[in-house]
Amino acid sequence: MSEAEVKPTAQRRSLRAKPFSRSDRIFYKTATAAANSSIVLVTLILVFLAWRSWPAFESQGIAYIFGSTWDNNPEKMVMQIGPMLWGSIQISLLGVILAVPMAISIAYFIVFMANKKFASGVTILVDLLAALPSVVLGLWGLLVFSPIAAGWAKLLHDTLGFLPFFANQDGNFLRSPFIAGWVVAVMIVPIIASVTREIFSQLDRELINASLALGAGRWSTFRRVILPTSSGGIVGGVLLGLGRALGETVAIFFVLNLVFEVNWWNVLEAKGGSVASMILAKFGEAGPAEVSGLMAAGVVLFVVTLLVNSLASYIVAKAQPWRK
Amino acid sequence: MEKVVTAIPRPKTAEPWKQISFVNLVLIVLASVVPLGVGLIAMLTGLQFELALLLVFLPVQVLVGALVGRRVSGKRGLSDAILQVLVIFFAASVLVLLISVVWSVIESGMKTLSWQFFTQNNVYISQTTSLEYGGVGHAIIGTLLLVSLSTIVTVPLGIATAVYLTETRGRTRTLVRTLIQALSGLPSVVAGLFIYAMFIATGITQYVGWAGSLALIPLMLPTVARVAEESLILVPQELRNGALALGAPAWRSFWLVTMPAAKSGLITAVLLGIARIIGETAPLVVTTFAANGTNLNPFNGAIATLPTYLYGYINSNFDTAVQRAWGAALVILIIVAILFIAARVMTRSNKAKKKAGK
Repeated sequence: MSEAEVKPTAQRRSLRAKPFSRSDRIFYKTATAAANSSIVLVTLILVFLAWRSWPAFESQGIAYIFGSTWDNNPEKMVMQIGPMLWGSIQISLLGVILAVPMAISIAYFIVFMANKKFASGVTILVDLLAALPSVVLGLWGLLVFSPIAAGWAKLLHDTLGFLPFFANQDGNFLRSPFIAGWVVAVMIVPIIASVTREIFSQLDRELINASLALGAGRWSTFRRVILPTSSGGIVGGVLLGLGRALGETVAIFFVLNLVFEVNWWNVLEAKGGSVASMILAKFGEAGPAEVSGLMAAGVVLFVVTLLVNSLASYIVAKAQPWRK
Repeated sequence: MEKVVTAIPRPKTAEPWKQISFVNLVLIVLASVVPLGVGLIAMLTGLQFELALLLVFLPVQVLVGALVGRRVSGKRGLSDAILQVLVIFFAASVLVLLISVVWSVIESGMKTLSWQFFTQNNVYISQTTSLEYGGVGHAIIGTLLLVSLSTIVTVPLGIATAVYLTETRGRTRTLVRTLIQALSGLPSVVAGLFIYAMFIATGITQYVGWAGSLALIPLMLPTVARVAEESLILVPQELRNGALALGAPAWRSFWLVTMPAAKSGLITAVLLGIARIIGETAPLVVTTFAANGTNLNPFNGAIATLPTYLYGYINSNFDTAVQRAWGAALVILIIVAILFIAARVMTRSNKAKKKAGK
């Protein structure tokens, strides 16, 4: 009733939250340092490559990216990667266009159609091939697949040769962007398929059952329920595959003829380009100035894949809000 | 005015209790047999296999499937049939391609494998030397040395990163997660060039094994960190809180409670990381180069690895050299498959334990 009866409250004290002991502090500091080392790593990669490649950028100017000559005459170096950059994009797009329907189909087949035993066998095969080194795929592409795909290319040319992008002048169908695109597709199908399968299998079964109970068939369930809920994740997986395809080196190196001349759409001609493969091809007998040019190509490639991958992780994160 | 509700006729697919009539059953069987027959006839009359498949079999299959689907379960049956035919067609073509890769490596590689292929090295071996001499012994040793060197550095780094992402509330978590994701798309040849720019172009060292190991680290780190993070997230928060409430310091709760609980996931992370880098070629070509002799010291001199060995023999005109390439490819495939099966066994035993616990 009066102020005298107010009980003395306990003194405010700070809540001693962990970590407070020295060993805990060391534990957290170590983890923080290790995690932040990845920031340092990316910065180091960019800084070192940029520093080493600066001479090339400086001497070649903007033509480095858009021009299409490569002349390693030591008096006046001309280094321009236009055809290679376009080739990388062209082959990756071709690979993605071929891979996406196959990857989504096999993911749909595994999750919604096949019986359990068969599905788990296919899953093992797909995941194993996602881990298969690209040099092995290069060997397969060169010795087993190239002759077969050249036959397909000849078939396409014979039947649809009047279309501009199936033209082929000299009748040589080997080592074309078409074949490289197929090899890249075989490489990224398992990657896209395993991401898509993961997302399909995490879909809410209630949604699908509700759609089926309402009388929708497989097609309308797929089109109206499965695709809208998983499209973000699938796009992320596709962009992940696109990043892999852009950086692919060895497999393309063996199945593609690198030519410094922009080949816009004649995918059946034995003329193509790939930045990563070009680096590998030219690295062996390059002098210091040329190596600087190759590093510049590495910087361009890294920046492009970095952009594609950031986009991928952003989209995947948006598409899977439950993975926080 | 009363509202009149007219009943919408029930779609036929919503009547699963109705038995499929005999006529429809015959139609379904016909739908799967007829296109096959038409395709075979087309092939026998001299059409190329690819053309027969794409221009005869597939359209006939889609058409017949759609007609029968329409007859059996109405309009929805039509689109369902088309979807199923296309999905099965694409899935089958993926399987054919993937099995072709695995089968051609196994078939051609088996001809090369022998005891001395595993034990001997490449000294005095030319492109035409008979397969009875020489092998990949030096390359297996080199691969194991380089990969274990990378593993020793990357695994603690990757797991500590995963700890940072899961156990702390650090401010840079989103940034670190994004960068790890970005690193997973780093072109492997760029990783090699980075080490080349840092150590070899600056004259610090010649082509040497440890440079190759360093070049593999940025490629392995994202795999290890991501898989480890996922397995640490799965450990229930109650376990950690229990340990902390009993008075354990955070590091002991991690060491004695969280880590054992996530053990199989962490081992999987390591194995998948190794599988990611064991076949990397381009970064090793620009940092370690190749060698013919056996080199047991990754800190001195060039060293051979399985991928660079394969790379050296792949583009040859001589049958024996190509045979060596297939053999090396099979050895790589075997190593990857062993790692993979190990990873699957680990995760399966974890799931089995969880089931038993329930």
